[in-house]
Amino acid sequence: MSDAPESVKITINGVEIEAPAGEMLIKVAEEHGTYIPRFCWHPRMKPVGLCRMCLVEVETPRGVVLVPSCVQPVADGMIVETASPVALKAQEGVLEFLLVNHPLDCPVCDRGGECPLQDQVMSYGPGESRFVEEKRHYEKPVPISDLVLLDRERCILCARCVRFSDEISGDPLIEFQGRGNTTEIFTFPNEPFASYFSGNTVQICPVGALTAAPYRFRARPWDLQTIESTSPFHTEGSRITVHASQNQVMRFLGVDNGPTNQGWLSDKERFGFEFIGSPGRLRTPMIRENGELREASWGEALIFVAERLKEIIERSGPDAVGAIGGAQGTNEDAYALSKFMRAAVGTNNLDAQLDDGLNPDFLVGVGSRARIDDLETANTILVWSADLKEENPILYLRVRRAAQELGATLIVVHPARTGLDDVAAHKFGYRPGDGSDLLADLAAGKDGFAAARDALQEGPLVVIVGRTGLAESGGLAEAVASFAGDLPGVSIMPIVRRANTFGALDMGVAPSLLPGRIPARGAEAPLVELWGAIPVSRGLDTVGMLAGLRSGELKALIMVGADPVRDVASGSRAAEAIGAAEFTVAFDLFLTDSAAMADVVLPAEGFAEKEGTVTNLEGRVQKVNRIVPGPGQARPDWSILDGIAEAMGSPIGLQSAETIAKEIATVATAYEGITWDLLEWEAREGAVVPHGDAQQPLEYVAVNAEQPQQTKGLGLHLARTLYDDGSAMRHSLSLAKLAPGMSAGLSPDHAADLGVEAGNQVTVSIGNVSFTCPVRIDPSLSNRTVAIPFNQPGIETLDAAAPISVVAGGPS
Amino acid sequence: MTDIAQWSQEAEALAEAVIAKYPQKRSALMPLLYIAVREDGYLTESGMRRVAALVDLEPAQVSSVATFYSMYKRQPVGKYLVSVCTSISCWLLGGDEVLEAVESAAGVPAGATDESGVVSPEHVECIGACGGAPAVQVNYELIEGLTPQKATELVEWLNAAQPETLNGDEMQALFGGQRSFDWAIHETDSATGPYPAFQPHGTVAPQGRS
Repeated sequence: MSDAPESVKITINGVEIEAPAGEMLIKVAEEHGTYIPRFCWHPRMKPVGLCRMCLVEVETPRGVVLVPSCVQPVADGMIVETASPVALKAQEGVLEFLLVNHPLDCPVCDRGGECPLQDQVMSYGPGESRFVEEKRHYEKPVPISDLVLLDRERCILCARCVRFSDEISGDPLIEFQGRGNTTEIFTFPNEPFASYFSGNTVQICPVGALTAAPYRFRARPWDLQTIESTSPFHTEGSRITVHASQNQVMRFLGVDNGPTNQGWLSDKERFGFEFIGSPGRLRTPMIRENGELREASWGEALIFVAERLKEIIERSGPDAVGAIGGAQGTNEDAYALSKFMRAAVGTNNLDAQLDDGLNPDFLVGVGSRARIDDLETANTILVWSADLKEENPILYLRVRRAAQELGATLIVVHPARTGLDDVAAHKFGYRPGDGSDLLADLAAGKDGFAAARDALQEGPLVVIVGRTGLAESGGLAEAVASFAGDLPGVSIMPIVRRANTFGALDMGVAPSLLPGRIPARGAEAPLVELWGAIPVSRGLDTVGMLAGLRSGELKALIMVGADPVRDVASGSRAAEAIGAAEFTVAFDLFLTDSAAMADVVLPAEGFAEKEGTVTNLEGRVQKVNRIVPGPGQARPDWSILDGIAEAMGSPIGLQSAETIAKEIATVATAYEGITWDLLEWEAREGAVVPHGDAQQPLEYVAVNAEQPQQTKGLGLHLARTLYDDGSAMRHSLSLAKLAPGMSAGLSPDHAADLGVEAGNQVTVSIGNVSFTCPVRIDPSLSNRTVAIPFNQPGIETLDAAAPISVVAGGPS
Repeated sequence: MTDIAQWSQEAEALAEAVIAKYPQKRSALMPLLYIAVREDGYLTESGMRRVAALVDLEPAQVSSVATFYSMYKRQPVGKYLVSVCTSISCWLLGGDEVLEAVESAAGVPAGATDESGVVSPEHVECIGACGGAPAVQVNYELIEGLTPQKATELVEWLNAAQPETLNGDEMQALFGGQRSFDWAIHETDSATGPYPAFQPHGTVAPQGRS
């Protein structure tokens, strides 16, 4: 790292200011209150000086000249005029040229009202155009992907979208085509702009050339109400603004929060807003009667649930009840669930993770924690987790930036090809189940691993660990972290996928944890005072609860925004378990496959309908806000839980999300001092709850790194894709069709052995489920691995633990 | 599946050799585009995909370069591309008349190809032969000092003889007039198709014709 750049003195419009040498003039001016108009310049991308809008007058030894301020580094003694008659005339001229071809269809343009071109023509442009000839015409608009439409007539060729897709997201599928007057931005013929990040280009387009299909013609900017919030997708906690009109959420936009998303969003979190207003939302409580769900009042439903639970507790004890879920909501809802299960029911059977995460003690307690921003200063980055592009896309962008722009050495370990392979210095694959062998080889610096091992010694080192796939044990991630823990300058980032998992764990939605990262048996005041006696029996996790339901040990299951049939790796067994339960109740937004089997279904409020806080993967607490009412009679989870506890005669005394937040700050030491006011005003970037410091009572001790070996047959790599058949995706119409569908990834040799090529059909059998799907060739796979995407539409639930086989051809 | 061109072994070997010359693969993009043109006669979408795969770029990036340069023909052209300069020096000395002569001898306007697929007239901007204006290139082999009469004869010769390779010096002797100056070097590289004769791109006849 170089030392801080020396500072220089420059004069802008007669005012002397100090600025770091080498900074671009446009940025320095803006930071000191002088806005210079611009189109192509974007603070998160490299300057190109394309649009010429930011011309200003600068005194040089050659006299006063017009320079584009976005590519002009500041130098000592520089004298700048941004609004002199000459500068203004130049800016006016540029705008007049831009309007030569830009159509004046603002009244029917999505951008109208929030368009940088419109705004800057108003402020800096000529009143009239001298251009009387015919404008350029193109077919408009052209859909360049399922989500984005392109109107080339409106394009001013600033290349923001081109640069974003090349520099930031790494999928340069749109480029300048042609030359001169016929230059246009376009994709390759018949190759759609199929990027997971395409929506960002719509947001940064300074005109209405790129528009988003889910928002097109649905609202005008001046009719929108806006509120800042935190994305309900992905554990990175992207900051967003939620825009609503007439009680309907219309769109999400990215907010530039430096420590997290830096303005970018994945298309899933940008366009996933559609599920909020879906007609499929649950609106009234429902009780199963004679095998059919019928509508009920809240009073009836709550009393019904309370009585069934009470009766089961009296008959079989509190440990016959369990709860799954809590990671999709707010911290306040998760806290309510934790308190309800412990204080009202009296059991530790609760789990926010759905058999796809990691040991909660590890997630909460592993030491030397990394923040996302540590990637900016890292020398070496080791990613041994799921494909970040599919599961943690914002983290993918940050790691990619570190490797590509900031020069960090990236090491990727994953059984299949990942989105980061292109920028990785070292990539190692392995058959799922053989991970610990590879870890031993890497640690020993065996043949082929020496360079990577040497790089690991070059701190600062950030190690991102997680489960590479659903069929792999979570213990491997702990073993990797334990190995990495001894490396110099290391910081560790354990990751999971579901949005507020870290918040739910911090609130004690895990069998082994209480709010504030306290071990389940280590409760002290003030928690004991507020909660009363806290159960000490050993709780069950999701797998344990599902097994307990099947064996009859567990009688009742509460599902809080959880759909085990779709979410756990062995969904067929989950369905069996729910079927075997004596009593199940689901709080959900939709009638999911699991909720459809429940005895009582209660409509819950979801994102944008309730206030609260969420905690991201680095422990950053951020606020989520309400802008629309929930559908029908939907209520927030905490209120449902409070109502059931009340009806059971064991009230948990929750009044509002805000009072719950205050209660959290009282009982969870780590959350001390975190108030909604703080998050709304002073801590706009979020407040980080530090892991592994003195405030944290839980001590995580690394477990024996020995991993169970899979049988010697074929290994199954069962991995999630960004778009799948989850309930939020299924009810976001624009995204629902984007799930890639089932395919079987095979290594080239494996495919040759079977006599198949890419696109040919094969029949895959996992346990007693068989399906036919096309082959995908992935040279990163070992010859004994089959890669299957998880949870695709139209595919039966699988048992991931069952043996797998593949044969060429379809059903006979 | 997207369609990717299959190249001859020779072209593949040549592409490999070209890529090896550069520290970064993508630097080989422009030479490889000529190989793609040579393989298919013009730049096809599948050819651009092949180039993209070879230099680790997206096809959109390849076509961005390919569409910028007018010498990468993206439509089929005849066996002989007759480029007539109409920039200022040539224009002053009758470039337009030469173009008209070429067009009427070929029977098609500039930018088109005759029915038998032999001659494609086009007009181009300066080809660096102002001293020998008006100048014409046939498959990028230069002839200087043409008259409309000689231009007509040139097209007739191309139609009648249909030579496999073309050499600038040879055509100059047959149809040319005043040259810019005596180049003094006997040109041995001969064009083998409607693309420039570049030794490293394998687009040169094994031996010059003369």
